[in-house]
Amino acid sequence: MAPRTNGIGVQVEDTKICVVMVGLPARGKSFIAQKAQRYLQWLSIDAQTFNVGNYRRTEAPHPSADFFDLGNAEGEKRRRAAAEAAMHDMLDWFRQGGVIGILDATNSTKERRKWVLDTCTKEGIEVLFVESKCDDETMIMANIRDVKLTSPDYTGQDPEQAAQDFRNRIKNYEKVYKSLDEDGDENDYTYLKIMDVGSQVIINRIRDYLQSRVVYYLMNLHIRPRSVWLSRHGESLYNLDGRIGGDADLSPRGHQYAQKLPELVRQSVGEDRPLTVWTSTLKRTISTARFLPENYNQLQWKALDELDAGVCDARRDKYNYRYRGGESYRDVVIRLEPIIMELERSEDIIIVTHQAILRCIYAYFMKKDQSHSPWMNVPLHTLIKLTPRAYGTDEERFSADIPAVSTWRGKGSTAKHENPTPGASI
Amino acid sequence: MSDKVPASESPQSSPAQRATACLASSETPEEDSSRAHSRRYGTGDSHSYLHRQVHFGDISTESTDADGHSTAEIAANAPRYRRKSSTFIDGIHDVTADNDMAPAQLYSTMSGRLFHSGRIAIVMVGLPARGKTHICVSMARYLQWLGVKTRIFHLGDYRRATVGEGEDVPEDYFFPNASPASVMLRQKILKKCREDIYAWLNHDNGQVAIYDAVNPTASGRLSLAKEFAKHDVQTLFLESYVDDENLLRENARNVKINSPDFEGMDPDEAAKLYLRRIEMKIPIFETMTENELNYIKMINAGQKFFYNNVSFNYLSHRIVFYLTNTHIKSRTTFFVRAGVATEEESFKADAPLSEEGHNYARIMCETVLSHREQERESLKEQGGPDVPLRPLSVWTSTRMRTLQTAEPFTERGYKVRQRSQMAQINPGVCEKLSERAIRRLYPDEVEKHDLDPYHHRYPRAESYHDLAVRLEPIILELEREQNDLLIIAHESVLRVLYAYLMHCSTTAIPTLKFPRNEIIEIIPAAYQNEAKRILIPGLDPRIVPSSPEGIRISVPGESPALFPGGGLSSPPETLEGLTISPGSSAPSLVTSPPPQRIVSTSKEAVEDKLLDQD
Repeated sequence: MAPRTNGIGVQVEDTKICVVMVGLPARGKSFIAQKAQRYLQWLSIDAQTFNVGNYRRTEAPHPSADFFDLGNAEGEKRRRAAAEAAMHDMLDWFRQGGVIGILDATNSTKERRKWVLDTCTKEGIEVLFVESKCDDETMIMANIRDVKLTSPDYTGQDPEQAAQDFRNRIKNYEKVYKSLDEDGDENDYTYLKIMDVGSQVIINRIRDYLQSRVVYYLMNLHIRPRSVWLSRHGESLYNLDGRIGGDADLSPRGHQYAQKLPELVRQSVGEDRPLTVWTSTLKRTISTARFLPENYNQLQWKALDELDAGVCDARRDKYNYRYRGGESYRDVVIRLEPIIMELERSEDIIIVTHQAILRCIYAYFMKKDQSHSPWMNVPLHTLIKLTPRAYGTDEERFSADIPAVSTWRGKGSTAKHENPTPGASI
Repeated sequence: MSDKVPASESPQSSPAQRATACLASSETPEEDSSRAHSRRYGTGDSHSYLHRQVHFGDISTESTDADGHSTAEIAANAPRYRRKSSTFIDGIHDVTADNDMAPAQLYSTMSGRLFHSGRIAIVMVGLPARGKTHICVSMARYLQWLGVKTRIFHLGDYRRATVGEGEDVPEDYFFPNASPASVMLRQKILKKCREDIYAWLNHDNGQVAIYDAVNPTASGRLSLAKEFAKHDVQTLFLESYVDDENLLRENARNVKINSPDFEGMDPDEAAKLYLRRIEMKIPIFETMTENELNYIKMINAGQKFFYNNVSFNYLSHRIVFYLTNTHIKSRTTFFVRAGVATEEESFKADAPLSEEGHNYARIMCETVLSHREQERESLKEQGGPDVPLRPLSVWTSTRMRTLQTAEPFTERGYKVRQRSQMAQINPGVCEKLSERAIRRLYPDEVEKHDLDPYHHRYPRAESYHDLAVRLEPIILELEREQNDLLIIAHESVLRVLYAYLMHCSTTAIPTLKFPRNEIIEIIPAAYQNEAKRILIPGLDPRIVPSSPEGIRISVPGESPALFPGGGLSSPPETLEGLTISPGSSAPSLVTSPPPQRIVSTSKEAVEDKLLDQD
């Protein structure tokens, strides 16, 4: 039986987990690491990624494939030093109260994994190995072209040559690579092995709730390229007179936006691929999405409905904490969990929703501190395109150039319509 | 449709019929267990069931009784539909009323289905003694908690109802080369069960049907998936695969515990014999390797999971998440209140225990420990194995009074863990206000609260629903815990956790009562949980009643006089037979009274599992 679950148990408040990435290059490890960190921070769990490559780069900024050959003693020494430096910093970070540290490296040998496990265990940190295993050559090459050539290792180099060099680098790793528990002697480890982008998954010896939570999230991820489009509904009649909540219809300008939305979408999608449309169940979002092409699949989600303003519904009131009988932003984050999971599993999606909900979803993709969510400025009549990448999320905005009232309010201000101050916008 | 179908078998039973059926099927604790037993399985008084109405025109071909319908048909159409009559009975197998909300539902949809996950059949795979029933029941418990309409269809119930109680299926029933008669019987039983599943998914807004059967062959599973797909139902197979000999023997021991067949045998020998019988009965079993199916293989009770994902959706992932936290072993959960504090009325003050509070903590601790010791002794007297007590863990919230209530346990060396999520419901503006003051200051809020005490929030306060959602990590850790567990918490937290384990409705939760002089013990079993109350003797009666902290608006019509025995109350209309008369329990309070077993039904269900090879 697992040593820590036989009843005595650890105090959950004390649980510290090191998520150790495992896998050959170009298998989406950094992408997964970075997503996990963002998700955990979004849930207000202190999480940090430690990328061994970044430590190595300070020593060897643009290494050739030879550097990664096991026969290259100098290369091996430096890579080992980088791993030790990353580990050292991670342990320091844990000592200062970190909860989930993510060690982003190939960790492709049993020896290296054993070293990580022993080092962490000595410090009372649980280890969860996460392997991304993929043998699909097209997927790997797509990943190399999309991600690796923009990696800091190849800045300013010829793309063709860089791609070739990267293939060679992977070959060097393949010589020594052992998949997790491949020989059956790592059966005691806690691990998640994701094969061929999630079509098969192995979960081994989950030891506590927090681990299960991380695993649950990671199972929903995929690394196929895609984008997410976000839009608020068009200006509503309530927006016009500064009321919140309710199920009001669009204003004439709001209708204008609805008519213009298909064009904005076409312009930003570029090619003719169909999107899936998600709206809330309220009139103003459904109405806003009604002119989108018919071949777009449309789904209405109750979870995308606007923050429940409780007794302030349809009233003018301070934009502050939980309204009497209403929801707080934290409640909304909980309610959005199925949306986030479903969003991760899906491909191209356009979401037409409400200010507070959009802020929370935006914060999830853009790594915004949750406590700032209520004060982010997301203007009306603007389409936002988010494209998740290995090292962050790209954002583009497309304005419809249709005037609308601003519903943005600064921290501590009242419901008067103000202009956002430059520093406070997202 | 056949003209021989009697009026009472019409597809929509009238409200009046419904009511009669409900009344008739409400079980009482005094009821003799054999009646309760036969009633659950539908072979005794079959008219006491809320009849399941399925019509495919073939009823008239069956042999019929004087009323025009065969007992087997009725029973096969109506397994285990019962209505909850007491909060002391685990409601996991009850029919839920349409207006019942799930305790931790994130949001509701018009259809009652969870957003866009569609209709799903979770098909169990695995030989007997692999913990399938346990997994089904606990999965159903969690899904219903989240607001997913879930029902379990045990094929064994249909087989029993068809071949008759106590009768066995033909020897070759599970054989690949079975005789035509056996094949026909098998198909008839399967058909009934599946028709019920479709009817429930299509007409009763069901979302997840859990199909509990052995499903031993790959070809059988493939055709099952195809058939469900034809009805627009997605399938997710869930195999419980066990190759750990110890685990297998332990499961077998638990299953055959009460069977006369094995009386007087060495437990290990009996377990071995039982497992051998299964092998003889079901000679072919193929573990899942079908690449084209969605499946989860749970290996050795959750030590490892393998899953093959063709088209998993949100719900499937959520189920995996839940399963990674569950285990098959059985352990007991105790609920007790925290002691009284010096500043009872204040939420913010987080006051320490008063002198009576410390006194309570000491007596409560002694009662818990001596009860556990007594249970062990009586098990030994009944010929059970002389095994040491399972270790006991204690969970408290981070509030001072719960921490201090746990001190006697800490002093005796028990592991005490603090869980911040277990803090009591936030009373918001109601803090320190008397009921009269709240009524005066917030008359409209009181009115709203009375309409829906579960979901209503007082200004700045949490609702019970908020609390239930916040307790999700605790629920999963509760599933994960392997020691016996004592939870010391505020009454509001106990209500919600109890409701999860015993499947109470949202209307009942805010009125559940946990007087200080009672320890509630929940004993898990594969089929359903049991609750027991243990009285704590020698307490000052003034500290016994329900918590004075937090929100105290009473629901109209509720008065303490209605529940003279204290304890967990039920909604008044279903109260008959539940209350324990104060006259009989009060005098014994001073001495140490024997624990009161409120209902004991899961043992029979477990015993029955021996015959349940499907």
